[in-house]
Amino acid sequence: MSEGDMAVIKPKMLKSYIWLQTTDGSIQQVEQEVAMFCPLICREVIQKGMGSSKTHAISLPERVNTAMLSLILDYCRFHQVLGRSNKECKSFDEKFIRMDTQRLCELTSAADSLQLKPLVDLTSRALARIIEGKTPEEIREIFHLPDDLTEEEKLEPLKNVTDDPRIRLLNRLYARKRKELKEREKLKNTEDGERNDDRSVDDLLTFINGEIGDSKEIKSSKNKKKNRRRKDQQKNTCLYEANESHEEPKSLNFVCPSDEVNKFRPSPSLTLTLQDLEHDSLNDQLEFDDGDIDDEIDPALKAQIDREVEDFARRLNSDWPQRMQEILSLGQERRRVQLSLNGNDSLRRYAYIMTRPPSSLRRMVEVLVLGFNPWSNSRVEMILMT
Amino acid sequence: MLKMASSFPEEVLEHVFSFLQSDGDRNSISMVCKSWYEIERWCRRRIFVGNCYAVSPRILIRRFPDVRSITLKGKPHFADFNLVPEGWGGYVYPWIVALASAYPWLEEIRLKRMVVTDESLELIAKSFKNFKLLVLSSCEGFSTDGLASIAANCRNLQELDLHESDVEDLSGRWLSHFPDTYTSLVSLNIACLGSEVSFSALERLVGRCPNLRSLRLHRAVPLDRLSNLLHRAPQLVELGTGAYSAELRPDVLSNLSSALSACRELKSLSGFWDVVPTYLPAVYSICPGLTSLNLSYAIIQSPDLIKLVSQCPNLQRLWVLDYIEDVGLDALAVSCKDLRELRVFPSDPFVLEANVSLTEQGLISVSEGCPKLQSVLYFCRQMSNEALITIARNQPNFTCFRLCIIEPRTPDYLTLEPLDVGFGAIVEHCKDLTRLSVSGLLTDRAFEYIGTYGKKLEMLSLAFAGDSDLGLHHVLSGCDNLRKLEIRDCPFGDKALLANAAKLETMRSLWMSSCSVSYGACKLLGQKLPRLNVEVIDERGHPASRPESLPVEKLYIYRSVAGPRFDMPNFVWTMDENSALRLT
Repeated sequence: MSEGDMAVIKPKMLKSYIWLQTTDGSIQQVEQEVAMFCPLICREVIQKGMGSSKTHAISLPERVNTAMLSLILDYCRFHQVLGRSNKECKSFDEKFIRMDTQRLCELTSAADSLQLKPLVDLTSRALARIIEGKTPEEIREIFHLPDDLTEEEKLEPLKNVTDDPRIRLLNRLYARKRKELKEREKLKNTEDGERNDDRSVDDLLTFINGEIGDSKEIKSSKNKKKNRRRKDQQKNTCLYEANESHEEPKSLNFVCPSDEVNKFRPSPSLTLTLQDLEHDSLNDQLEFDDGDIDDEIDPALKAQIDREVEDFARRLNSDWPQRMQEILSLGQERRRVQLSLNGNDSLRRYAYIMTRPPSSLRRMVEVLVLGFNPWSNSRVEMILMT
Repeated sequence: MLKMASSFPEEVLEHVFSFLQSDGDRNSISMVCKSWYEIERWCRRRIFVGNCYAVSPRILIRRFPDVRSITLKGKPHFADFNLVPEGWGGYVYPWIVALASAYPWLEEIRLKRMVVTDESLELIAKSFKNFKLLVLSSCEGFSTDGLASIAANCRNLQELDLHESDVEDLSGRWLSHFPDTYTSLVSLNIACLGSEVSFSALERLVGRCPNLRSLRLHRAVPLDRLSNLLHRAPQLVELGTGAYSAELRPDVLSNLSSALSACRELKSLSGFWDVVPTYLPAVYSICPGLTSLNLSYAIIQSPDLIKLVSQCPNLQRLWVLDYIEDVGLDALAVSCKDLRELRVFPSDPFVLEANVSLTEQGLISVSEGCPKLQSVLYFCRQMSNEALITIARNQPNFTCFRLCIIEPRTPDYLTLEPLDVGFGAIVEHCKDLTRLSVSGLLTDRAFEYIGTYGKKLEMLSLAFAGDSDLGLHHVLSGCDNLRKLEIRDCPFGDKALLANAAKLETMRSLWMSSCSVSYGACKLLGQKLPRLNVEVIDERGHPASRPESLPVEKLYIYRSVAGPRFDMPNFVWTMDENSALRLT
């Protein structure tokens, strides 16, 4: 910097200088009044007597490289002059922060490490203005941040989050139970409305587990399901305008939720027509899904799943208070917790249940199997709060 | 890039976030990436919950550990028109219990259309040491005893606002529970109360609170008392008078005039019950400074109204009865060029013949003369497509347009045609329209226009309109930003609703009453969409006791991560896949 050079020429009696060293190696002299504007430098000089010579240069924090130091010193050089009007300062500041976002971030970081609060405020506000009104995607792009929130944590229509085959299995089995109960109902006369289920959790799970042994032969995979569905659709035509009478017949293409419970996306490829809705075909298709306990679960895994389910049921019955303490103490930590779907899935599931202690254990299974809302399903809440 | 991300310390990022306080920005920030999500949740202090049943207190507390301000809304908007039966829900007590243990430093609670009990108020009063603000807007279920608790215990209370709540007014003594040492009042709104309070207590309270900015009195405070209060609080910015009448004595007017003119900061006036027009000139001295004037209780005829508004060149908001008539709105259009919001309420909506000369012409004048007009609520008895088209062309800046033609299904009075084209012009020209209420004779075509052009529409209210499901389909499939849809007495049935079921998860709520949605369809929706709560409200008894194809009385659908609620009365049922199997 030319100022540094000039300092050598001028007599030392007129100005005093502070020596600063950045981590990328450069050492330079800076006018004392400018450098002392930074609280960190100020402290180093006063408390530790550093900076008086080249050999005793003040080592600046890592986040302050030569370029950032230069900017910061420009800022200090302007602001340390007393008597500037508000208008002058504002005008300088506005021009000063005009730089690309990357530099702005670096500058914020550097200013923070030097504890230069006014500059931190200035740059932070500028960053806030950049973020304001933008979508998460836009923000990610600007700041080059990873898109590491999982699908189910985002705002898009949520898919079923149960990657865990155990949960899927339980869901399917429960649905099957539902179907069977309905059939039983149809056979009976409708005289008993109430159905009292006094079975314990273990009984219920054994009942469900028992189903696995009785499962149907493994059908071929989902593809068959898809094909069947597609064929059904092609058969149906849009009969809306035939049913209704209005002046301008339109060809309406209604978009419907897909058949699978919990899983839908308003995608044009999967359209159902009103006729489907009017008939029970939709219900049939739903039960069609439920009937498939198969996909990708081989017997060995099934056996393992049985064991885990039983283990889980046992834990539900016994470990409750201890578990709760564990989960609650985990929640105290301020540091970022690595919540991933794959790893601590069971932990989060327990935690979810812990925070909604139902009155009976039976209820807990219901909660688990039915409206399963995993911990990280918090993105939806955000919509709900707007 | 990764280097930048890692070297940016959390505290600095938190500092950046502190300059972003809007809910939208906060939500965006939290969805950028995992680390931002974590940082943001620890430093979010204000929470807005648009539907108290959409999320549970536990979920909220789990995610946001340090909240200082919360807003909760309960009943759907149509509760204001007595369409939501008593006992439907919206109880705040469970929330207060949870908040009390989780957020001891909570400072602000704002509630709208919720059932608040005295127990809730007592719990608030005792649980939050630094409690500063309580707003109960259109709430009910509490009495002045609960208010006494608040007054007695909240040492740092700054704002108490009972905006249009239904309070069991046992006595006015509650006001005296503010201790003599209490001086931090900034805003007090008791306009909805009935009983007389101790005037000396009120005067002392006003006198010892130097930061008092907003005082909205209730009807039981007569005009001659007002001067005393104003003398003690000349720094007021907002004033709601009590009854604007007193025995005709010469000094009342002069006292009031001088007291009011001493209030140089006054920007907003309201109240004006039982107006004696002789006293109106008292406010003339402060009219030039007024930005907001609420005369919705004031029975003042148009000549006096004209005199009043003509002296308010800086008026931005006017709420008035239709006594203002077309001629008054003409005057408004001439004098108040800064007008942003106009609401004209009906003085007598139950008579068929117009009792005042207020027509579409008044609205045309205002739309022409007031370039900044953005929000309109207008009750009238006649409208034409031509007028609506003119209004739309005059004022494309509308963000909120609510037109209520008093008699349902009224056609264009000039052509006797439906008002489709008129409303079509509104949505077409007003590209920033976010809120719309329609009325008059409307066919499905009107909804086609709304669906085609209403891309920014967030809230839509429909009544006695449309021909068929096609109308509803247009709205649900076309309005991309729709959040709240409320419908009454329209011939909409199952088809459009089921066909657009996916849309419902992108909205906050849907209300349909006296429509043609069948019980079977409700069940189907509840089964298919587990993240929605599909509530059937039917005071005629469980809909399962009738054929499934019959329509339900009322239907309220809202998205929720909290699952079905358990505080429903015996005429509300939540449809879901296991309601039949649910083991009680």
